[in-house]
Amino acid sequence: MGRAQIVSSPSKTLFEGYRQLEGTHDEFFGPDGQPHPAVAGVVERLDGLKRADFRRLKRLADATFLRSGITFTLYEGNESTERIFPFDLIPRVIAATEWERVEAGLEQRIRALNFFLADVYGDQRILREKVIPRSLVEGSKGYRPELEGIRPPKDVWVHIAGVDLIRDAKGRLTVLEDNVRVPSGVSYVLENRETMKKTYPAVFRNEAVAGVESYPHKLREAMNAVAPGEGGTKRMAVLTPGPFNSAYFEHSYLARRIGCELVQGNDLFVEDERVHAKTTHGPVPIDVIYRRVDDEFLDPDVFRKDSMLGVPGLIGAWAAGNVAIVNAVGNGVADDKGVYPFVPDMIRFYLSEEPILPQVETYVCARDEDCRYVLEHLHELVVKPVNEAGGYGMLMGPSASQRERREFASRIAANARNYIAQPRIELSSCPTWTAKGVEPRRVDLRPFILTGDRSWVLPGGLTRVALRKGSYVVNSSQGGGSKDTWVVGKSR
Amino acid sequence: MISRVADSCFWLSRYLERVDTWSRLLEVTSSFSLDVGMDGSERWRPLIVVVGQEGDFLERIGVDRIEDSEVVQSYLVWDDRHPFSLYSSSRAVRENARTIREVMSVEMWEAVNESWLWLNSRSAKRLFERERDAFYERLCSQCMMFHGICYSTMLHEDPFTFMKLGRAIERVGQTARILDVRHHALQDPCEAEESPVDAAQWLAILRSCSAYEPFFKRATNVLSGSAVAQFMLFDRTFPRSVLHNLDRARGLLLRLREGAASQGRSPSWEALEKLRGSILQMDIDEVRRLGLHETLTWIVDETAHLCDVLHDEYFDPSLDALRARLQNGSGARGIPPIRSRRALQSQSQSHT
Repeated sequence: MGRAQIVSSPSKTLFEGYRQLEGTHDEFFGPDGQPHPAVAGVVERLDGLKRADFRRLKRLADATFLRSGITFTLYEGNESTERIFPFDLIPRVIAATEWERVEAGLEQRIRALNFFLADVYGDQRILREKVIPRSLVEGSKGYRPELEGIRPPKDVWVHIAGVDLIRDAKGRLTVLEDNVRVPSGVSYVLENRETMKKTYPAVFRNEAVAGVESYPHKLREAMNAVAPGEGGTKRMAVLTPGPFNSAYFEHSYLARRIGCELVQGNDLFVEDERVHAKTTHGPVPIDVIYRRVDDEFLDPDVFRKDSMLGVPGLIGAWAAGNVAIVNAVGNGVADDKGVYPFVPDMIRFYLSEEPILPQVETYVCARDEDCRYVLEHLHELVVKPVNEAGGYGMLMGPSASQRERREFASRIAANARNYIAQPRIELSSCPTWTAKGVEPRRVDLRPFILTGDRSWVLPGGLTRVALRKGSYVVNSSQGGGSKDTWVVGKSR
Repeated sequence: MISRVADSCFWLSRYLERVDTWSRLLEVTSSFSLDVGMDGSERWRPLIVVVGQEGDFLERIGVDRIEDSEVVQSYLVWDDRHPFSLYSSSRAVRENARTIREVMSVEMWEAVNESWLWLNSRSAKRLFERERDAFYERLCSQCMMFHGICYSTMLHEDPFTFMKLGRAIERVGQTARILDVRHHALQDPCEAEESPVDAAQWLAILRSCSAYEPFFKRATNVLSGSAVAQFMLFDRTFPRSVLHNLDRARGLLLRLREGAASQGRSPSWEALEKLRGSILQMDIDEVRRLGLHETLTWIVDETAHLCDVLHDEYFDPSLDALRARLQNGSGARGIPPIRSRRALQSQSQSHT
């Protein structure tokens, strides 16, 4: 009884009694209970807060998010509800010296993926030299043979990338997956930062936290850099599937911050291989489209005929070089989970460099040998379908029941190409506010990389946190929340 | 600006104007019912009729409830199964706003969002139960505040113009409808002998349009059906009169045309000028000869026609029309870029 009282005591400091998870790297504290050097300043300042203060700040922050309508839409059956993306007021902190290496690693990876895309839709050198099996590429759901021979403006394919990183038990930041189609989440990074600055002005004054505010500006620059034609003002638009899309807030937010139009497919039309917007003053040509519509729905003349979200003729205008599409079409083959295991080989092949960032050891079920191994070791592996996002359709081997594992084994046997498997990584944990005070919760990290004339990495990125105790799943659709990510200190 | 966005600006304003008009009308009607012993005459049914929902009400709620003040009020306030309740209109305001946040100021969005969150809160329900007048007044003042926020925070360019156009056109229709309430309450309004009950009715109509004091500022006005109708139709300075709003719509269409690259013919302009011209040539005697109800119906129909024409010209032009404009080389010169919140802030800082 006495103990429960202490736990809920409002005068207790934030990190008092914090217990780390066994066998897991903690983002704040070392095994000896002392904060990592980069985090020490932040820990000291936050620890000055009493729990009652912290609760008050939390209420304020939640009210701000709700009032400003920073929400995503959740669909269950016919019902839709708007939710605020749960946000944790304890930041995730990364040392600037470590970040420098991550930046270089991300930039290298995106450079290689960009070469890869230009290659598979061009000469296919990497396939001819058998560095990557042709069947794997051509069998990928993201591969669009219709696009062979097309060169996007300035040969940039991946303008906006979100690369998911996790920190393993040894504390190494490791690439879990690439997102080079329509990665989302950056609006939360920017809004979370606004909220944090309002919440902890003093901490920001004293810690050198790298700014994220220039993202919209950098995005605009990148879009401008790939716009077809010579100089002059380029007309840009963000293409959204519409207000019923769960990420509509982000589409509208980015259009506002970039300072361009937000359009739906119906607002555009193509005439003479040029894209025009329907405006109250008549047709207006558009030079760059940041599309948040998936490939399949982009142009009913080329892809899905039943798409109501696309623009007939768009791909033709793009192929003619009259419009830049950001990200390029066909990128799905580069972030296919089946292609992922070959990214280090791509880096060596195109750049003659060694990969800077490690990635998770992966078994490709398309390979007989790997497939046999996976089927024999299901109890220690995480199995993922290659074409699903959002954490859907996975098997968490170690925590699954025998029956679930048996069912999954038959699915793998029936369609091996569709699966990869990885050992379960003990994702690092970060102190997180819960109903019972501060507890460790697992986190990942999605940095964003923009590429126009050159690449730029947003310092930090979106830290997603699995709010459910013991969970490894950070997706917002499945009980995940987010944290602000602080890159602190001086780089070398 | 993008046609679809102009459409949403236009409709956002129209829905907002409905919330404003109808919360005032409901407030006045509920207190007006206390004023006079109007036995046998109708108070609530006319509201259901002019909103165009008599069929739905009779089918879902029942004829025996149509003079039940509480039933009618909750039907017109909370019922989300028809599009004309304050709740449905408020939702439409918020949905339109959410769709076009890129042309609204942050302050506008937050005002709309907060009103919507409030309407869904327990405290809104409580206010409705306990202090009905305060509930309606709060809705009215939220609407008026929103117009003030637009005026002082958003760029005064096309989106602003389309919002104001929506308000002007909605007001034409709403003022006509409110005047018509009287027709459904009593027969032959302009002809009838003015009884105390009639006087109370006309006062209520004036109050529903915030026209009570403005009306009596006109020295010649005595309270009669003709004088009230004359004022609400033809007074050019009263902000809810039909003619005032047609004048206003004219000014707004003119501004839109000035911004356009080509000065070709504009069907909206022509439709508006035709309607406005007819009304300019009318006087109250002619209205009496035609019949007030018939005149009001004609105004509502012509306004609906104007909206159709606006739709085809600005909000949803056909692909053929757009392609024809490209061929004639009369496309627009370009969209002025929308300034982001950050750009606006830094601009205002540089001025201080």
